[in-house]
Amino acid sequence: MPTDPPPTLAAWLRTRSDEQLSALLVARPDVARPAPSDVVALASRLAVPVSVDRALDELDAATLQVLDVVLLAPTDGVATGELPGALPDLPDDVLTASLERLTARALLWGDELLRAPDPVRRSVRHPAGLGRRAAELRIQLPADLAGALDELQPDERAVLERLAGERPVGHLPDGPSDGAGTPARRLLQRGLLARIDALNVELPREIGLHLRGDRPFGPPRLRPEPAVATHEQGSVDRRAAGAALESVGKVGELLGLLEEEPAGLLRSGGVGVRDQKRLARVLHVGEPEAAWLLELAYAAGLLDVGGPHRDEWLPTRSYDIWREQDLPDRWAALAAGWLGGVRLPSLVGQRDVAGKAVNPLSPDLVRHTAPAIRRSALTVLGEFRPGSGLSDDDLVALLRWRTPRRADRLAPVPAMLAEAARLGLVVGGVLSTAGRGLLARGEDGASDGMRGLLPEPVDHVLTQPDLSLIAPGPLVSELADTLAVVADVESSGGATVFRVSESSVRRALDAGWSATDLHDFFTKASRTPVPQALDYLIDDVARQHGRLRVGAFESYVRSDDHGLLSQVLNDRRAASAELRRLAPGVLVSGLGADEILTVLRDAGYAPAGENPGGAVLTRPAARPRAAGRRTGTEHSPAPRPLTPDELDTTVRQMRAGDAALSARRGEAVRQIPGVTTASTLELLSRAVSAGLPIWLGYVDAQGSGSQRVVRPVSLAGGFLQGYDERRGENSTFAVHRITSVALVEEDKPSGAAQA
Amino acid sequence: MSDGPLIVQSDKTLLLEVDHPLARDCRAAIAPFAELERSPEHVHTYRVTPLALWNARAAGHDAEQVVDALVRFSRYPVPHALLVDIADTMDRFGRLTLANHPVHGLTLTSSDRAVLEEVVRSKRVAPMLGARIDQDSVIVHASERGRLKQALLKIGWPAEDLAGYVDGQAHPIELDQSNWHLRDYQQEAVEGFWAGGSGVVVLPCGAGKTLVGAAAMAEAKATTLILVTNTVAGRQWKRELIARTSLTEEEIGEYSGERKEIRPVTIATYQVITTRRNGEYRHLSLFDAQDWGLIVYDEVHLLPAPIFRLTADLQSRRRLGLTATLVREDGREDDVFSLIGPKRYDAPWRDIEAQGYIAPAECIEVRVSLDDEERMTYAVAEPEERYRIAATAQSKLPVIRRVLERHPDEPSLVIGAYLDQLEELGAALDAPVIQGSTTNKERERLFDQFRNGEIRVLVVSKVANFSIDLPEAAVAVQVSGTFGSRQEEAQRLGRVLRPKADGRQAHFYTVVSRDTLDSEYAAHRQRFLAEQGYAYTIVDAADLAGPGEVNGPGWVDEPAD
Repeated sequence: MPTDPPPTLAAWLRTRSDEQLSALLVARPDVARPAPSDVVALASRLAVPVSVDRALDELDAATLQVLDVVLLAPTDGVATGELPGALPDLPDDVLTASLERLTARALLWGDELLRAPDPVRRSVRHPAGLGRRAAELRIQLPADLAGALDELQPDERAVLERLAGERPVGHLPDGPSDGAGTPARRLLQRGLLARIDALNVELPREIGLHLRGDRPFGPPRLRPEPAVATHEQGSVDRRAAGAALESVGKVGELLGLLEEEPAGLLRSGGVGVRDQKRLARVLHVGEPEAAWLLELAYAAGLLDVGGPHRDEWLPTRSYDIWREQDLPDRWAALAAGWLGGVRLPSLVGQRDVAGKAVNPLSPDLVRHTAPAIRRSALTVLGEFRPGSGLSDDDLVALLRWRTPRRADRLAPVPAMLAEAARLGLVVGGVLSTAGRGLLARGEDGASDGMRGLLPEPVDHVLTQPDLSLIAPGPLVSELADTLAVVADVESSGGATVFRVSESSVRRALDAGWSATDLHDFFTKASRTPVPQALDYLIDDVARQHGRLRVGAFESYVRSDDHGLLSQVLNDRRAASAELRRLAPGVLVSGLGADEILTVLRDAGYAPAGENPGGAVLTRPAARPRAAGRRTGTEHSPAPRPLTPDELDTTVRQMRAGDAALSARRGEAVRQIPGVTTASTLELLSRAVSAGLPIWLGYVDAQGSGSQRVVRPVSLAGGFLQGYDERRGENSTFAVHRITSVALVEEDKPSGAAQA
Repeated sequence: MSDGPLIVQSDKTLLLEVDHPLARDCRAAIAPFAELERSPEHVHTYRVTPLALWNARAAGHDAEQVVDALVRFSRYPVPHALLVDIADTMDRFGRLTLANHPVHGLTLTSSDRAVLEEVVRSKRVAPMLGARIDQDSVIVHASERGRLKQALLKIGWPAEDLAGYVDGQAHPIELDQSNWHLRDYQQEAVEGFWAGGSGVVVLPCGAGKTLVGAAAMAEAKATTLILVTNTVAGRQWKRELIARTSLTEEEIGEYSGERKEIRPVTIATYQVITTRRNGEYRHLSLFDAQDWGLIVYDEVHLLPAPIFRLTADLQSRRRLGLTATLVREDGREDDVFSLIGPKRYDAPWRDIEAQGYIAPAECIEVRVSLDDEERMTYAVAEPEERYRIAATAQSKLPVIRRVLERHPDEPSLVIGAYLDQLEELGAALDAPVIQGSTTNKERERLFDQFRNGEIRVLVVSKVANFSIDLPEAAVAVQVSGTFGSRQEEAQRLGRVLRPKADGRQAHFYTVVSRDTLDSEYAAHRQRFLAEQGYAYTIVDAADLAGPGEVNGPGWVDEPAD
């Protein structure tokens, strides 16, 4: 091995161990796919600006500060020993870890002398918050810089001090055009600031350094250690369950309302303000809350665009399944939908550029980074012991430290945390057990965490003398459906308060119930004795509602359209039905219902059958449903992590490719893939006969190119067989996929002699 | 999951299951911050309003206690957001305090500068404030103390009034407890009021509110102005004060339409104070006539709006409000809170009834079928006439007679709203009628005779709704009313709830014409009574059993042999 330090990044990479290369691929997975053929290819991929940006974005503030030191060094290459001097307050272990992180990612390279690759320099625009050098900004600083600075007015000095802080670039304030108005303009004239465009100025690095004095890098940016918020986990879970119950209940109510009266789809997408207001009013919530519920239902796949003209927001088919599930599962579906949703519900109602408020479910709310941000925020909380967490502000500060270059992405975090609290994932900064479950195991984990905390459905109500019915818990869906007909909801939450009124009884009678049915229903459903007043109410209304008639006939035809019935009655084609008018709106016949249906259909009418009991609800058999998506969330494609096997293979391939590359080769014969030239075949057959290793450019069946060193064995039928040194096995190569061939000039003189 | 008696709803109503073993503890825990809205048989409904929370804060409860009570007794998990909201609301009270500054006089001080800034900038509040003293306090014109509190409450930053009270002119008043004793809850009510300085005591009709007033006067030992609804109620107060305290007849003055006496203790009617001539309140000087140490407002829920305005100027005097309910049909509960004071004591009807202090009542709705002629008259009547026709139907008369026959020995009241009907009933039942035009003297005479048992049945109009005290009325028959008003119902029921000497049951009948507006209004009243927890029975007139008959009064259900 050469003792000189490696001169280039590629050469340095070559000196890294297999484990270190694996670690590099894990840390920067974007360079590992497709597998780089050799170290040179790897080095050039590592220099791609997008890849560098991404790698830098994932670094925390402490690591970036260490990087700044190397970037700001006057020479290219900083000895590791000099670093503690630049950052005297930084603990050694943090420094070591930061360097390790940087070199593992090849953002710095070199062993004794640390160097930064050029793309990294370009990507960090303002290292340590300092501007470019005066020379780069094309301005001439005064020779006596310290003296020039001392002469400045206090307000001018203040401008420089501010630019010497976090950001060396500032807006030029609007001022009088005479030029000397503002301190910034005076500084420009003196050549202490550089103009970079019409609006902005930049402070030259020299001045920044001068103003910062002996600590150009400022205090060490250590991980913030905020006060840990602690709550007893049991109480957290109970409160979370309260929030969960509330969310599930409200979403259920919302979808019930949309089932009765769908919300219209705006031309621009989303739900209109009028529908939003209506829902808010009926649900007794604020409009922002109604918007949140709509978004939540949509994220969970329970709500979508449907209807005959695809212009209505309707519950989806999943809603039918959802409402039959038990409470923890229903909640988990909502929570998982929210976590994976690519929309930011908190933006509803905010004004866009044109000053128009954004509607709920509007397509403008899609942010593909949302799921990642949500998960990263909650994951931070998940790193705390159960029962402890962080306040919202501290959490944002910690996230900001972790990825300072992505700080602008953190704007929605407070709103997300508020949503998480609303759902019951987070309570007072502490992750609930169900929230942990959701992060670790998805929907199942979430529902397991909530199980036992949510009430079991009840199958009875308590009837009170003031004609209110109290369901002391969530109702089984069958009873809930019935009660929706015979009573009005007065208050909802953990329990539901219904009220029976004259109009609700009338509604039940309209829906086909008889007074006896109602008496029976209340007797059966009520755990307390049915109050006398309720019985009186039912009887009073029923007495008013209609008088009973009993007669014998086989079937009836009824319609609200009397004209239609008269038409049927007088229609000769329907005469065989033997219909007669029993009352306005009702025709009866001694014939069976099936026969009447057939006769009427044949006569060109569109009759519908009715349940012979007539006592049950006359609801349409199938209610409208939107097709809906399979799951509620549009998962943004996240890269699959590399498996250890894949890593091994990639590193081995690079090493082999590298060996191939470093092996000196003879003049290559290049060819266009798919076209086999005579010279290629000649060279190949020479190698086969002499048993010489060849350097082979090859495109595999997947289309990825590679270079390999192969010791050919045979050439027949368009296929070359040989020992592939890279894979360590015998392989077969299609000749038409070979792009170039060269004899490997082996170092051993024997090989050369044979050639 | 705990199995508590309480269910917390998302609209901040609380459902309390009364048969639960912990129900009593739970009630005690939530009563300070939740208003009892309905108390039917099985599940009581309480409501947590900002006003109720501030009442609790004023009474010294903090958010932690409230949250703890909810979490501890709740059957289901309580939504965190609701708890946060409660804590936030409670936190708003007391950020601002009104206090007396030794140099600047009355000042508004804040522990939170942002709040003070918001308040100072509010259009509603700004005119009442004077110069800024420093960043945390601002001078208040002394005359604006009441209106400022009103305005601050409206903008959601209720101020805590620590500016204290003037003692007023001292006057010796002692309770004379030689042959009676202040009941525990009355004692608690007085202590609650006195500790708070000013405020409202909520006690059911018949629970002895007058005595709470008397005890408060004995505590203040100062000249007192008592405001009552009408003259009869005023005389009632006077009688009670003479009987229960060291005050003599000469010390108590009556300030009414008839007499204008100003004495150390003066009882004035709302009416005389709000009388205007040429657009001027003529009797405002009453408030300055004495250096009053205490002002008592009887039946606060009926306090007319002009008196609120006057009360705003009386903020430096101790004020005691007495009422059976804080519910005002005009929705001005917040004015009661800011001008008279927070609720200082509250006890539910049923609890006091259970302690035997007010008579248990049985409410019976008797349904009368109109005869064909009446039905036809009703059917063709103009809509605005319908209720009167249904309520005053002749068919009711025999039923009323029969009801009274069921209780031959009980003192009974027949209450109605239509004078023609009352005259007719008076003639038919051979009973005297008391109505608006009856002179006070005549009223007193009839009431005395009724009390002595010389008269068994009295027919009374709406005038009897308020504050007459008929201790021995055991049966009330309601024949017509004011469109199902809840307040009226509470007052009428109160007539029969006064404790009976022998603990007999009280009976409250409502005679209703079937299938008419009358029965619709009856449904409102029925709901109100059921919500108050009274057993409510509906009986057809034909099934109304007499004494000794099956299901009649005194009937005991015995197993058949």
